Amino acid sequence: MIINHRLSRDAFIALGHGGGDPAVIQDLVEAQYSKHLMLLHAVAEAADAADPSDPVTAAFQAGFSLMARVQAADSDAAAWQLGLPQIGAWAHDCLTSLDQGSLPDFGYVACAAVAAAVRAGITFQLAVPVHDGRVLLPGLGCLFIADQLSWIRLSGDGVRLTAGNDIDLPYAALIADDGRGTLLPQWQGTPLIRAVADGHAWDVLLETHDRYLDRYAQRMPTALTADEITKWRHIIESAWLVLVRRHSWVAASLATGVSVIVPLVPESDLDSATTPAAFGAIATSLPPDPVMMAETLVHEFQHLKLCGLMDMLPLIRPSEETVYAPWRQDPRPVGGLLQGVYAFLGIVLFWGAQRRVETDPDDVLRAEVMYERWRSTMELATGSLLATSALTPTGARFVNLIREQGLSLESESVPAEAREMAREVALDHWLTWQVRHNAFDTAGVASLAASYHRGEPLLDRTLPEGRIAEETRKVDSATRSRLLDMRHLDPRRYRELCAAGVPGLSKADALLINGQDSAAVCAYRDEIACDGRQPEVWVGLALAVHRHQASSPLRQVFTTKLPLMFDVYACLSQQGIRSDPLDLAAWLA
Amino acid sequence: MTLPEQELESVIPDLRDVPMDQLADLGDSVLAHSIATYRQRLKGAGVPLNSFTSYVGGESPD
Repeated sequence: MIINHRLSRDAFIALGHGGGDPAVIQDLVEAQYSKHLMLLHAVAEAADAADPSDPVTAAFQAGFSLMARVQAADSDAAAWQLGLPQIGAWAHDCLTSLDQGSLPDFGYVACAAVAAAVRAGITFQLAVPVHDGRVLLPGLGCLFIADQLSWIRLSGDGVRLTAGNDIDLPYAALIADDGRGTLLPQWQGTPLIRAVADGHAWDVLLETHDRYLDRYAQRMPTALTADEITKWRHIIESAWLVLVRRHSWVAASLATGVSVIVPLVPESDLDSATTPAAFGAIATSLPPDPVMMAETLVHEFQHLKLCGLMDMLPLIRPSEETVYAPWRQDPRPVGGLLQGVYAFLGIVLFWGAQRRVETDPDDVLRAEVMYERWRSTMELATGSLLATSALTPTGARFVNLIREQGLSLESESVPAEAREMAREVALDHWLTWQVRHNAFDTAGVASLAASYHRGEPLLDRTLPEGRIAEETRKVDSATRSRLLDMRHLDPRRYRELCAAGVPGLSKADALLINGQDSAAVCAYRDEIACDGRQPEVWVGLALAVHRHQASSPLRQVFTTKLPLMFDVYACLSQQGIRSDPLDLAAWLA
Repeated sequence: MTLPEQELESVIPDLRDVPMDQLADLGDSVLAHSIATYRQRLKGAGVPLNSFTSYVGGESPD
């Protein structure tokens, strides 16, 4: 009788607190192995119903049989092969193809079976597909095929692999490339990074050839040069050292759960990604330094852990709800917010440890602000999640564990300068998001504007209720926002830019960035008086008011009612009525 | 907060000790149900990417 995987209460709690030791991660890994087998079985059922004379169907049947033989002879080799993230991704894509009525890529399983057979020293004979002159053996590398063929028959006698007249290679040479072997003309091993620090090892593949891992928003490079591979080796090895020495809470767990790094062609300063279809793979562009690589690994590993957990236990129900996420410019679905807050819990834990070991003042500042910035979002984001109706009871328990961990970090002290920077960056994000996505009923705004114009007191009047909309107002504040972030993310560059003068800043923004807060308030008011239709100027005014009027009730109004103020002001302007934003704020206060 | 019971039962059948060539013999058991549930989930929500993009400023995970 088959029973389902189980997860202990302690493992659930450890994951909810952002951790999970290697044994817990192994539970997730083994559940993924079962998931891959389950999906492989679903694909096998479809292959049974397909045309047996089709070469792809025949390849699948032969590959499936070979994999079963490998499993019987060497279960570890089969488990390693079938547990690879690309196998999960392939199986996922097969199911999607079947659901769409198209033929899945059955032939891939033959390649995976050959890779497993080579690892296990098993005999075989079967045809495999050739793509662009290569036969991919997932997790091992590529055979180069000289002839222009779409299929080739491979034979293995348990010691050597042969194909056609050209290829005759020992199994022992068909291995991933750890940088120490000899190069063969017909074989390219997948780069394997063997990172070792203080006796702790992590073996991870650097995959650029398997198309099932080319599935992220940014593309995978078609190939890496030897120099590029060397750079990746160095940064991953250095990041591993950072993790082992400074973040022992996560290092061994990460080594248990992450088997593949997928390089990405960057489209920004840093891009990284994971998908539940490929558990165990982290995709990332090359980070600027080992600490950022370590942070990226921790961040993406959080996503992987949650993906693995959500495969095992439903945490959310289907829902159309969208909510504010303190790290995104768009309203997010509940699942997106849950993934994000869990990733940031890892980031908070990372910077919480990192801030204690940095010595360079710029690095200390970055660590302190990052810690404070994301620590302060835990309560907000978990509160938003718990207020939705999309969490299952297990999901609500899990979010409460995240929240509990966030609250436990609240008592940690952070230097005042870092705290203020973190709060201002968070405020800028919140204000910008609100102005961009909060929409109001036009009649309600008009009525409020009329009351203000008549000089009526606000008293207990009910204000128009905002709703979340896709993009209500376009906010063009990227330069200012990036400068505010750059203060802690790249202080040296920030100082250089400030010294040289930043192009593209308005007079008011320049005053704000230079810390001339009172003058900035005046300048933003002047800009609004000239043209009050630019939301980014209102956000700038709110930031300046926050800095300049520390104890004023206006701060609260600017924090919570900025989009409404903007709409009321616009309504009055359309009627030719001039008003002052601070006076309007005082009325709303 | 109510903590979960001592163990939580997942929706993934434990196939670690099942030989691949005997998966088909499991028939319309837990396995078929789990596959159907998984496929339903795929159709309902797809497989979201957790994507992170960072400029110096403007970060966006999930």
